[in-house]
Amino acid sequence: MREKSRSKKWVLLWLLPAVAVLAMFYIVPIFNVIIYSFSNTSFFGEKIGGFTFNSYKTLFSSKTFIDVIKTTGVFVLASVFFQLLFGFLSALAVVWGENKGLRISPVIVRTIILSAWVLPGVAVGIVWKMLLSEANYGILNYYIKLLIGEKIMFLSSPKWALFSVILANIWRGTAFSTIIQYGGLKQIPPELYEAAKIDGASSWKRLLYITIPQMKQMNFINLALITIYTFNTFDMIMALTGGGPGRSTEVLSLYIYDKVFGQWSLSTGAASAVVLLLINLIIVIFYYKAMKIGEISHA
Amino acid sequence: MHNKKKILEKTLIYLVYVLISLFFISPVLWTLSISLRPLREVYKYPPKLFPSKIIFDNYIRVLHTSLLGRYLMNSLIIVLLTILGTLVLSVPASYVLSRIRHRAKGTIMISILVFQMISPLIIAIPIYGYFEKLHLLNTFTGVIIAYIAIQLPFVTWLMKGYFDTIPLSIEEAAMIDGCSRFQTLRKIILPLSLPGIATATIFTAIQSWGQFIIPFVLLSDSRYFPISLGLYQYQAGKEAITTHLIASASIISIIPVVIGFLILQKFIVKSLTRGAIKG
Repeated sequence: MREKSRSKKWVLLWLLPAVAVLAMFYIVPIFNVIIYSFSNTSFFGEKIGGFTFNSYKTLFSSKTFIDVIKTTGVFVLASVFFQLLFGFLSALAVVWGENKGLRISPVIVRTIILSAWVLPGVAVGIVWKMLLSEANYGILNYYIKLLIGEKIMFLSSPKWALFSVILANIWRGTAFSTIIQYGGLKQIPPELYEAAKIDGASSWKRLLYITIPQMKQMNFINLALITIYTFNTFDMIMALTGGGPGRSTEVLSLYIYDKVFGQWSLSTGAASAVVLLLINLIIVIFYYKAMKIGEISHA
Repeated sequence: MHNKKKILEKTLIYLVYVLISLFFISPVLWTLSISLRPLREVYKYPPKLFPSKIIFDNYIRVLHTSLLGRYLMNSLIIVLLTILGTLVLSVPASYVLSRIRHRAKGTIMISILVFQMISPLIIAIPIYGYFEKLHLLNTFTGVIIAYIAIQLPFVTWLMKGYFDTIPLSIEEAAMIDGCSRFQTLRKIILPLSLPGIATATIFTAIQSWGQFIIPFVLLSDSRYFPISLGLYQYQAGKEAITTHLIASASIISIIPVVIGFLILQKFIVKSLTRGAIKG
């Protein structure tokens, strides 16, 4: 009995500091954001007034916010689709070389791809800004002009700016997607391919009926992660376009920041943060389900 | 005949590899190329892919005329203390979470997963308010505490997964020999989980080096800026004429993390493709 109560003591002692930090920096702030969103508070430290839906009403009747949601939707859908696709193709290429007995070159390619993932987002934004620039040093536009006779206003035309932000984000996120899918490909038992080969299945059929179905679970996890990362993207866009020109590349996270810290309109900013929070939560549920399915099928 | 086909296939693979590598490396190489050329070649039209001669003047100038050196130092301090703080908090907790069977455990693990996925921007909003009251805005202490809070969920999740792989029998033997819980952790478990701790350290270092939202919200005094924020402010505050300096500054911000990554890449790929993601 004494032994038991003593053992409980160390459990609490070791668990408590981390749990306390998590509670203070996640649970309390999340409740606080929700409370702010139902108030009329405009800046920190101001007394929180009564309960009101005003910020949500303001938010959803604001054309700017609806435009931001649309921009975010296009940004996320396009980014995630191509990150999945390019990640799959790159991972397939790396494994292809490995299976053909190449040793060094797949490692080099893998390393080059993944190095895009470790770069600070601000650096990624600047790197792409230099590449896409309309000034003399914009190397891409130099070749484009040779080809089609005129430059593309990658960063100063609203339509092209959104394209540029998506392109840079695909470049950045494909690295992560590749490595997750590479891990998935490595987990497929080689016997499956052997058996299919004996049965005379073409490589196209093996891809369609073995590789893709076997990758399903890993790709649900991958999909959830890259979707969340893309929704939360902030630094790269700040450095590349700052949300402009106009508001053409202003995604939800930039809008939230601008509301709270740019316009000092805390309650509306908090309401838009709650929207992002809900999006995050929905994806987490999806991710958790994908993981659970994995555990069962692995057991 | 068979051999010919093999050679053709290998050539095709190399071709694909060159294309993929070019796509991923050329944007950074272009910035590198700008950073290494004399000023007049930066704005010359048509632009040349490579500098006529490689010079380091831009690097020397940017380090002399900006606070970049200081930002690098700040980042180093912040990252090291963040790693230390995150490990001290997460190792005992994740060890407990790996060993106990209690109904609260599932709730805690799911909450940690949720916290890990939430945008730091959401929690940064109220934290700004708290830190304003506590006079922690524009301090290293405030920034480091927030960085630790950001890293804690992922590292706890990761370490718990790692401890799960260490069999109970090992520590039971140690406790029968009279080791206390703390001694068992220090002498038996920690040495066995060094690869897990290394993985946690690498991830925390990479993520904290690039962390932007937290310092962007909590810091306005440039003396405390980490490199990510310093670089952002540097390029935001400059006219177009300083492109060569901004290019050098970006490369400087990239070098430490890329070198660290290249040394440890095998390790990182291994942990990313194995349990790290699934926990």
